[in-house]
Amino acid sequence: MTSSSLPIVLYAVPFLAALLVAVVGWYVRGSARVIAVSAMAMTATLAAAVLARVMTEGTLYTPLGGWPPPLGIALVVDRLGALMVVLVSGVASLTVTGSLRHVSQELPGRETPYYSCVLLVTAGLIGIAVTGDLFNLFVHLEVASLAAYALVAAGGRGAPRAAMAYLIIGSAGASLYLLGVGFLYAATGTLNMADEARLVATADPRLVMVGTLLIVAGLGVKMALFPLHAWMPAAYQLAPAAAASFMAPLVTKVSAYALIRVLFWVHGEALLRTGGALEILAWAGAAAIVAGGALALVEADLRRMLAYSSIGQVGVVMLGVGLANTAGMTGAVLHIASDALVKGVLFLAAGIALLRFGVSRVDDLNRLRGRAPWTGAAITVAGLSLVGVPPLAGFFGKWYVLSGALQEGRWMFVAALVLGGLASIGYVFRILERLYFAPAPEHSPPGEGSWLAVGACLVLAAGIVLLGVANESVVSTLVLPALPEVGP
Amino acid sequence: MTPVPGYEGVLAGMAVAIPLAAGALILVTPKRFAEAWSYLAAAGAVTCVAMLLGPVLDGARPELQVLRLVPGLALAIRVDALGLTFGLLASGLWVITTVYSSGYARADHMKNRPRYFASFAASVGAAIGVAFAGNLLTFFLFYEALTLATYPLVVHKETEKAFAAGRRYLLFALGSGLALLTAIAWTWSLTGSLDFTPGGFLHAVASPGTRTALFVLFLLGVSVKSAVMPLHAWLPAAMVAPTPVSALLHAVAVVKAGVFGVMRVMAFVFGPASLEGLAAQQGLVAMAAATIVVGSLIAVRQDNLKRRLAYSTVVHLSFIVLGAALVAPLGLIGSMIHMVNHGLAKITLFFCAGAIYATTHLENVSDLRGLGRRMPWTFGAFAVASLGLVGIPGLSGFVGKFFLSRGAVEAGDMVALGIMLGASLFTATYLLPIVQIAFFPGPPAPGATERHAGVGEARPALLLPLLATAALVVVFGSVPMVIGVQYDLAAAVAALVFGGAR
Repeated sequence: MTSSSLPIVLYAVPFLAALLVAVVGWYVRGSARVIAVSAMAMTATLAAAVLARVMTEGTLYTPLGGWPPPLGIALVVDRLGALMVVLVSGVASLTVTGSLRHVSQELPGRETPYYSCVLLVTAGLIGIAVTGDLFNLFVHLEVASLAAYALVAAGGRGAPRAAMAYLIIGSAGASLYLLGVGFLYAATGTLNMADEARLVATADPRLVMVGTLLIVAGLGVKMALFPLHAWMPAAYQLAPAAAASFMAPLVTKVSAYALIRVLFWVHGEALLRTGGALEILAWAGAAAIVAGGALALVEADLRRMLAYSSIGQVGVVMLGVGLANTAGMTGAVLHIASDALVKGVLFLAAGIALLRFGVSRVDDLNRLRGRAPWTGAAITVAGLSLVGVPPLAGFFGKWYVLSGALQEGRWMFVAALVLGGLASIGYVFRILERLYFAPAPEHSPPGEGSWLAVGACLVLAAGIVLLGVANESVVSTLVLPALPEVGP
Repeated sequence: MTPVPGYEGVLAGMAVAIPLAAGALILVTPKRFAEAWSYLAAAGAVTCVAMLLGPVLDGARPELQVLRLVPGLALAIRVDALGLTFGLLASGLWVITTVYSSGYARADHMKNRPRYFASFAASVGAAIGVAFAGNLLTFFLFYEALTLATYPLVVHKETEKAFAAGRRYLLFALGSGLALLTAIAWTWSLTGSLDFTPGGFLHAVASPGTRTALFVLFLLGVSVKSAVMPLHAWLPAAMVAPTPVSALLHAVAVVKAGVFGVMRVMAFVFGPASLEGLAAQQGLVAMAAATIVVGSLIAVRQDNLKRRLAYSTVVHLSFIVLGAALVAPLGLIGSMIHMVNHGLAKITLFFCAGAIYATTHLENVSDLRGLGRRMPWTFGAFAVASLGLVGIPGLSGFVGKFFLSRGAVEAGDMVALGIMLGASLFTATYLLPIVQIAFFPGPPAPGATERHAGVGEARPALLLPLLATAALVVVFGSVPMVIGVQYDLAAAVAALVFGGAR
């Protein structure tokens, strides 16, 4: 373990930038977006630096304020955490940059609070990824969530209602998590994850089990794990397009990461096997795959369809976690990354479709036909990755989770993955059929969306291809060493 | 671990890459270059594949590893005699089909030509990739790519009927892909290997029960493209595509990728040792036999020419599946030969159907009465190819069916023998009447003469390709050297799979 202040800087940049935007943005017109984008770029660079340090020097360890745990809070960044901060900051930078024009179009005069919230969400998500403390994780979760409620509420018709539902359900989830942490604290007397991991084996198993189940339920709400997903489709459908394209790829995925962190680093596999939490997660994941796919299949609204698709993909992640073998966990981590990229492309493209072409329904996507070839190309790559066409990134997540299910001989889970695959074929090709083969109306606008948005889509799509083509190196150098000790 | 690829390996890689690259180029360069790229790529691909013929006949197995997919498993290309046979078929006929496509596009005033030619090129690239795949995951990758690349061709006409056919096609093909993927992932977790091995690699590790389940999954995966009933329903529907697509893809590349997959799975994943005493193998024999019988009976009743040909394809694909399912050396040889020879005859028939449609806009058999006198060359070629499929000695269909029948005898399956011989003769009842009414219309039917008024022979770009493939039907049935090479390739595969060379 190396002591380093880099993680603090990484967290501080978006957090302080959020405050800076809030202050300066009121006085200097147009400064908000400049500060936000610069801060995002800086965060992404720092995240890359963190990853590089972790790769060379091992886990980074930062006692905040010099107070050693258990008195103080410690930030701990291992390979998995470093992978997450790179993913969060990279995708956030791209989606924020890509939706600059969308913001000025959708939220004129409200750019300052928008970017302030975006930076707060980013800071919260990074905080979740770097913290080594259970209560600190709750704080970051709430920082991210509160700002996210505000972002959703900024949308048009119906958005305040959706934001209210999101707020109520999300707060209930956060409370469940906090309650779970309370039980663990009662059982072990510490909030530090590393200490907790040492003490939990000798603690009162009943308290630990209740605490674990409460944490699973709380984070399950935050990641919209079926059947706790009710807040999500409306929130991402009605939020401003810019906010949806920023939040949808990341918020649920980071919550999934948080659950992996708590389950495997705090509790350890041996304890979990006896508790039933993994079994619940696996079944919920399998149900999410089928239900999310089915709901996406019949959904008419594009962004709502994508939200249901996310529910299914989170299901794939949780199924991998619930299987708790190396293949399943590898698949879970890969699928977090690939779906973040895929949803980044698709929600950005949905923003282009809405703001440039006035399209919110899947059936109207034919208005883009022949007018937006690059957006279409990015949608195609992301869609095929969602279907699981090799060698795109989405294939590998499913491949590993499928292998994991087969290794355990869990046929119901294999069947769920196959059904989810069938559903994704259905809804992705509903999009592609309209986009490429349905006759285009005469009077739709002639050209692509803003080049920033299209460029961001293409960079993210390139990321999908790259993560697929270079998958073997990613798995053997990044993912496998980052995994906790689990079964074969 | 990775050997330095020899130049043959690079050639094999190029044979796959050239058509795929051409597909991308067609989309990004100006419209007018679409056909030029297709010609260049077709010539390039067939040259690369043909240059591999010598080394492969000498027993070489050129290899190329492109990139690692998962730890211990690479995107690998390896050319053996079976793959080369399919690769030659797909790339060789692509050259002829490109000429035909150009002519058809003009005659039919086709829209969206860049998309058409790009998808066509990508489909052929994917088919060659299927042929040259060195392991199951690589096979799967190209198999899925083939589905995706042919989808735009199925919906090309952009009518509601085309969309419905396209959806059905995707549901069948990608859905079966999921079964295939499950089978592959299972094999991987059982054996830790996915490399195609002559004689199979499952017999040592999997219990009979597991093998049966795997067999069902694998066959679900590859039986859709090989149109074994009841998984054939996409094929007649896909006839809504432009005729050159039906000709090359739905008579040769796509469906042959299916039967090729059956052979790969039967001989290189399971192998005779794994299949011994497996009831599922008998099940496949029964399904193929049933498909032959039922498909023949349906074919007779089709009035739409392309649908009749499609059902004839269903029947003859099951001949090939049956040959592989018998697990007998001569059956496998027959399957390989019939894979090529049926392809030659069937592409000719579709070319003729397309030439008739592009010239007269007629697509029903009953409308063709007397048309033979106006389009003698077209119907002449149709007659040759029909006789070839029936199995007249001296034409291509006979050679494959001869070995298939011997395979049935070798396997001691007299029912299969009877069905094959009967169905061969039965082919005459649904193909030859078309020739008959075209040339010998009998008393004129009311209205027929006006329909054919002013109709002449098809334009040269349509006529020359179909005459060329008709000539190939003759050559592959009568020139000893050609038959010899074909037999050598097939026999090499059979020797590796069944011989003690394991």
